[in-house]
Amino acid sequence: MKPSVAVHKFSSCDGCQLAFLNLGEDLLALAELVDIRHFVEAGLADEDAQVDIAFVEGSVSTSEDAARLQRIRANSGYLVTIGACATAGGLQALRNLHDTQAWTAAIYASPQYIDSLDQVTPIRDVVKVDLELWGCPVSGRQLVAAVQQLLFGVAPLAQQDKLCLDCKRGGNVCVVVTRGEPCLGPVTHTGCGALCPKFGRACYGCYGPAPDGNTEALAECFAGLGLAADAVARRFGLITSTAEPFATTSARWREKTK
Amino acid sequence: MSERREIRITVPALTRVEGEGALDLTIKDGRIADLKLSIYEPPRYFEKFLEGREPAEVPDIVARICGICPVAYQMSAVQALEQIAGFTPSEDLKKLRRIMYCGEWIQSHALHIHLLAAPDFLGCNSVTELAQTHAAEVRRGLLLQSLGNELIALFGGRSVHPVGMKIGGFHRVPPMTERAALQAKIEAALPDAAELVRWCASLPMPDDDQAFVSVSLRHPSDYPITEGRLVSDAGLDIAITDFPQHFAEHHVPHSTALHALLHGEPYLVGPLARLNLNLDRLPATTRALLDETGIDFPSRNMFHSLLARALEIHLALTEAARLLALPDSGPAQPAPEPPLPASTGFGCSEAPRGILWHRYDTDAQGLIAKAVIVPPTSQNQPRIEQDLRLSLEHLGLERDADSLRLHAETVIRNYDPCISCATHFLDLNLVRDDTPATRQPECRPLRLLGAGSAVGPDSLAPRLISALRADPELQPYLADGRLELLASIQPLRDALNLPRDGYRLVVLDSLMAAPTDGLRHLHLNAATQPAGWSSHQLSLGDLAALQPLLPAAGDIEVLAVPLPRSAPDDEPPVNERHYLQLQRWLLTQLDALPSP
Repeated sequence: MKPSVAVHKFSSCDGCQLAFLNLGEDLLALAELVDIRHFVEAGLADEDAQVDIAFVEGSVSTSEDAARLQRIRANSGYLVTIGACATAGGLQALRNLHDTQAWTAAIYASPQYIDSLDQVTPIRDVVKVDLELWGCPVSGRQLVAAVQQLLFGVAPLAQQDKLCLDCKRGGNVCVVVTRGEPCLGPVTHTGCGALCPKFGRACYGCYGPAPDGNTEALAECFAGLGLAADAVARRFGLITSTAEPFATTSARWREKTK
Repeated sequence: MSERREIRITVPALTRVEGEGALDLTIKDGRIADLKLSIYEPPRYFEKFLEGREPAEVPDIVARICGICPVAYQMSAVQALEQIAGFTPSEDLKKLRRIMYCGEWIQSHALHIHLLAAPDFLGCNSVTELAQTHAAEVRRGLLLQSLGNELIALFGGRSVHPVGMKIGGFHRVPPMTERAALQAKIEAALPDAAELVRWCASLPMPDDDQAFVSVSLRHPSDYPITEGRLVSDAGLDIAITDFPQHFAEHHVPHSTALHALLHGEPYLVGPLARLNLNLDRLPATTRALLDETGIDFPSRNMFHSLLARALEIHLALTEAARLLALPDSGPAQPAPEPPLPASTGFGCSEAPRGILWHRYDTDAQGLIAKAVIVPPTSQNQPRIEQDLRLSLEHLGLERDADSLRLHAETVIRNYDPCISCATHFLDLNLVRDDTPATRQPECRPLRLLGAGSAVGPDSLAPRLISALRADPELQPYLADGRLELLASIQPLRDALNLPRDGYRLVVLDSLMAAPTDGLRHLHLNAATQPAGWSSHQLSLGDLAALQPLLPAAGDIEVLAVPLPRSAPDDEPPVNERHYLQLQRWLLTQLDALPSP
């Protein structure tokens, strides 16, 4: 029997599940290998299906979401979060930082809104997650690799390298050294293919913090490059603002502006 | 004795749209009594994240509003920010941006046609089913989609949230060798695109002519993609800066999305509107294909949106092939240096789903002071509702719920609603109300009961009640009885003592939480175990347990205000944001009540 798969969506831009739909011919090959039971955007709706692998996109923002996630967890053998929203709250988690401004709800307050967007939390805060695929967005390559490894019955290898290493291997010219750009490559999870430095611009950390990154030293380096404290804080607090150590470094440099 | 039959269907109805929402349909006496399409539009809070950010960060942030049309968001944004910077893009730059944008149209339209819409017209549920019966067509569609993605990646490194576009140009301009390689692949795919148009024209389309106003950009010489003036087939012809004078967004009670209207009326944006208004801007080969189909345009049949998408794929491939072959006339322009001056800028481009309008204000430090983004789906939403009413009545309301649901879905999918970031499934809630008497609208006055102690931290809710009593905006409702404000240190006793009928009771209480949490609207009952929610443990749990005794049966509605941790005798000041949330919530509720 083919292993079964579900793709679930929470609060997100749909960009990560698009990594499946953008597989091209490989999408049809994937559909041959696994039995896709639930994938709303592809027209398959069976939310409570029991599956071997569940991919979860998006962050949790209502109590209803949390309950739905519990059901998904109970119905799934292996739960994989895909993308920055699911693994670290994503860009929408920025609202958690804005504690002093009388904003959004002042304009959009309605019961649904208040209910739905008070808190933005990653999936792992609510249920156990077996594998996290970082990236904003994740790539088709990451998804296919994870599915293949699971189909072979091996535990997927968690990618630990920093983007900086990939960038060096790719032979790109370093944007920090040559242009003084505040590149997050030394502390960011690899996986995108070092796209930004390859394009001559600084990495902005969309794959989230890599393990053991020295963000404080890098922040000092950015300050040395001429960035004001608030600009340093913004640099670390963008796509994965709630993920450590980005969150702490961002908060510490935000404090310096006061 | 009147018989009341009520059918309520809740199914995850609207698959194959990007995002989720809900459709509520009430049929009474053979007519649609009520029809509401609820879609969440979270792009709104992105506007707030942009405040205080550097303009250079804006393209990376707005891309994340939508994974399907990030290029459109980046394009409208850089256009507006370049206006602020006083930067005029060269013809070379305009050309390169147009090629990249063509990629987005191709991938988005190909995705929509094959994965989302075509199954409707061929009796399948999904693309995997469709691949069984129409393998060649699906493969062709996936190939075209991939070409679109490759075009975006040529300029942006990847097709979802590309990293190439910046204020003043591109971080990296692809060399001619790379352009030539992709150009050859695109040339080779043009016959496939032509076949796609013929195939879409041959699909069985319902005949459903409706009157509607089309709105799109219009360019002096080209089919509008990245820029132009705003025009309609009702005579509108304005600069994009004048958008707010003609288009108004308003809040409807049933949806968190703002609905946009043109001169007070619904209007259509997107492929069909663009095609209707720009037939004379099609490249000759695309025009010949359209004529070959024998279908008359401008069209009033919304189902022709599918054909319009196929034609736009052909057009976008034709344009990309032509422009990729065109060498640049000179080196890239220097990009404007930060900081940007304090000013206002406007941007508008044709996202795959229709016009996407942006406005940015910068402050004295050159940071974003304010951002306004009007996405296509919020513009089409009133038009979708209008269409659903007409289409479902045309189909016949006596049909069973499944047929109604399928037809409603098909109608909605014509608009390719991009409701990304949504958090709820789109359910169809169908109510057949056969009660002969007119249904009374929900018009119970709202009674807000602030629970808390007289002094100390927990006096927050009673103090909020005092502030609300003095709020000028609430005075009319207090005067005509639609709103009643009460404070209580023993809410359980007081709630039980209040008259039982005719009121909607909402308890306002403080709960221990971080101030970032904002106001919460909770529905509590005996099963929801609210122990520990309230700072004064007594009231809420008891209220829930005794719920059957309470004035109106059902859940207890609670508005929970975050109470910061503080000393026992401290009285934390009222948080202005929470107060505003509360006031707005009340006004939204009260506006929905008929005035006595």
